[in-house]
Amino acid sequence: MALDLAQFHDAFFDESYEALDTMEASLLKLTLGAPEPELIGTIFRVAHSIKGGSATFGFSEVASFTHTCETLLDELRGNRMQVTRHITDLLLKSVDVMRDMLRGVQTKEPIDAQRVADLQFDLELAIVQKNAAPEVLQPATPVVEKAPPATSSATSAAHRWRIQFRPHPQLFVHGNDPLRMLRELSELGEIDFKLDAANLPSLDLLDPESCYFAWDLTVETDATRDVVDQVFDWAEGDCDLKIVDEYASTSATRAPAAVPVPAVAAASIAADNVVNIAAAQKPAVETPKPTTSNDHGESPKQGLGDGSSIRVSTEKIDELMNTVGELVITQSMLSQLGTKVSGPVAEQLRSGLAQLERNMRELQESVMRVRMLPISFVFSRFPRMVRDLSQRLAKHVDLKVTGEQTELDKTVLEKIGDPLVHLVRNSVDHGVEMPDVRVAAGKPATGTVFLEAYHKGGNITIEVGDDGGGLHKDRILAKARSRGLIGPNDTLTDDQIYELIFLAGFSTAEQTTDISGRGVGMDVVRRNIKELGGTIEVRSALGKGSRFIITLPLTLAIVDGQSVAVGTETYIVPLITIIESLQLKPGMVNRVAGQGEVFWFREGYVPVVRLHEVFGLRPRATQLHEGLIMVVEGEGKRVGLFVDDLLGQQQVVIKSLETNFRRVDGVSGATILGDGAVALILDVPGLIRVASQRTAA
Amino acid sequence: MTTLDAQHYDATAAGSNQVLTFTLGEETYGVDILRVQEIRGWSPVTRIPQAPNHVLGVLNLRGSIVPIVDLRMRFNLQRAEYTALTVIIVLSVESAVGRRDFGLVVDGVSDVMDVPASDVKPPPDLGEQVSTEFIEGLAAVSGRMVMLLDIDKLIGGDVAGVTPLPAAANG
Repeated sequence: MALDLAQFHDAFFDESYEALDTMEASLLKLTLGAPEPELIGTIFRVAHSIKGGSATFGFSEVASFTHTCETLLDELRGNRMQVTRHITDLLLKSVDVMRDMLRGVQTKEPIDAQRVADLQFDLELAIVQKNAAPEVLQPATPVVEKAPPATSSATSAAHRWRIQFRPHPQLFVHGNDPLRMLRELSELGEIDFKLDAANLPSLDLLDPESCYFAWDLTVETDATRDVVDQVFDWAEGDCDLKIVDEYASTSATRAPAAVPVPAVAAASIAADNVVNIAAAQKPAVETPKPTTSNDHGESPKQGLGDGSSIRVSTEKIDELMNTVGELVITQSMLSQLGTKVSGPVAEQLRSGLAQLERNMRELQESVMRVRMLPISFVFSRFPRMVRDLSQRLAKHVDLKVTGEQTELDKTVLEKIGDPLVHLVRNSVDHGVEMPDVRVAAGKPATGTVFLEAYHKGGNITIEVGDDGGGLHKDRILAKARSRGLIGPNDTLTDDQIYELIFLAGFSTAEQTTDISGRGVGMDVVRRNIKELGGTIEVRSALGKGSRFIITLPLTLAIVDGQSVAVGTETYIVPLITIIESLQLKPGMVNRVAGQGEVFWFREGYVPVVRLHEVFGLRPRATQLHEGLIMVVEGEGKRVGLFVDDLLGQQQVVIKSLETNFRRVDGVSGATILGDGAVALILDVPGLIRVASQRTAA
Repeated sequence: MTTLDAQHYDATAAGSNQVLTFTLGEETYGVDILRVQEIRGWSPVTRIPQAPNHVLGVLNLRGSIVPIVDLRMRFNLQRAEYTALTVIIVLSVESAVGRRDFGLVVDGVSDVMDVPASDVKPPPDLGEQVSTEFIEGLAAVSGRMVMLLDIDKLIGGDVAGVTPLPAAANG
């Protein structure tokens, strides 16, 4: 009976990673010395289900390591150990190790076995050491039960468990393998078993997928009842089980002879194993109210276990989005037709179409919302990061997170992580001062790093700030001067000074640390944010702290665009790139070296880019004053885009040209207009590059 | 055609014996019927900047953006007027970067024919002047010569943007 377990691997890894995230988050919430049964229970369940899963799938190293963790957690859960800083550190490291081990198994790459062994040793040591502690009451402990089997067999065991294991016929069907259980038991200590094959039918009646065997086992081991029970955890409900300690002196009081396996127990096991889908049968777990903004960002479980949910691949959602996009186009085609219809039914038709339009908009919004995830998916990594960083830097830093339930598109979410990591790291490393410096400045020794997210207009704003030293304008200026980035006598506004830190290779940190300060960073941060169609700005006050304000569109699937006409073609210019549209009068245009056309705009000369020349079109307007100039900005450069006419603003659904064609310079994608025609969406920075190459050539 | 048949033909793509034939001027060409997605009438396209001349632009094909290639211009023939009777054959090609759909503008679609693999002859070597690398083979069907096109070679480079084709470079 070889069931192919490999098909469940991916689900197991996915769930385990998520469970580890939960475990990490819970660990960070533990307060020292105060037992919090709920949290410890959550952590224990994670370790337990990972252990069970990895044992089932035969990932023995993972199972062995997790088992040690579980043992330690069990001690915590039973209040036989105190939560100390040392313990939480160990457990956090264990989370990392488990993650690495799982990833190693998943990618079939070897992992650092020494690191695992060291940590496992440390964990075991911690378990042993609690024995030495005076307040400990329980003498018998499963200290070395998972040590190499050779040692365990030699010792005189504390228990002799007599186990009657009578599987129900459907045992195999539920993915249980008695062999695995027996193997696991045999690892606990000296095992003796007797097979009962009395129920085995004759071969012609035999159903190969049913279990006909039963076993009588005795195990001599130090392992406690709990440990033995866990071997059979997965089979609960699929077997009759009787476990008795023959050295009954200690266990008689602890456990009744038979393990009851009511349906409820089985259900709760199932819920344990699927922590991310907290279903209705798990009322004990606190379900956070889906508040949009909670003031102390420590909402439990962060939406992971919130309500019932299903896993849907993003591909399916994208397909749905595409179809809805099609519907929107069809609907707008119909609406245009509807205005042309006359006659008795015209009015009815139009009201029907209006209804359709409303429904379409709602449908589009709902589908869009499916792709939206709370930003806590990104924020959740920061408590751990700030904790580790501040420990390494010997600083005291509190992280304050707000608005972590703010939702945004998954694609945006995936790409905003790295820039945010960078900013938070900067805040901890450069922003917050050392405790003594802070105290000397009359500030509390513990610094605060803020992380805030909220909706504003059609955008999401994310702020990363600290109450540290703020940006040193003088130092930035001096650095920029020494680099020749600005002239020695240039005077800059505050905003212009802060702009300098976004230049490539710019760092004012006195010394480079392994955390930050090598000058790769802020330029990349800004570029990443720009790629997402967002902006970043800086506010800072010397001695009070700094704040980086990131504004992002809610989704990448839709862009607010201005349609422009050039010749017979229509193009969409993203609104975010447009500064102003204007009409030039004859005489306002100057020529540089008889070639490039420039005009005065606000505080400088801006070159004219004739879109029809770049794209090789025949325009309606050839004289600059006949058409319109649209001042656009990309990567810090401004140009005046010369077009025939402006048509109107609209939200357009972005489609990739690369699906069936290839990348085109100066074009970021395409969209389908209301009449079914295709319009290209301009990539303004790319267009500026193309234009400057043309003039250079 | 049943799925089973399709799989069979896919596996033996070279030996598939049903071709869609179309005309370009006086000549008859054929493409593997399994590559044909649909046949549709002409409608104005949206131009793509910096594209080769024979890539006319893109069209909205039920929501996906599909490039349109003029086969006359691809073969450096005289350009024909686009009328309501001009036909676009939507084909799929396998390129270095995966499957791509594109439309091929031809003069007119003729027929679906059975061309037994045994009837397909390799293209003769016509020297430097005539490039035959896009011709998979020649077949004589009811007295007419049909040129079977290897559309992956013909178009794959254009739509995937890997390397410009020699004919595109001199055209």
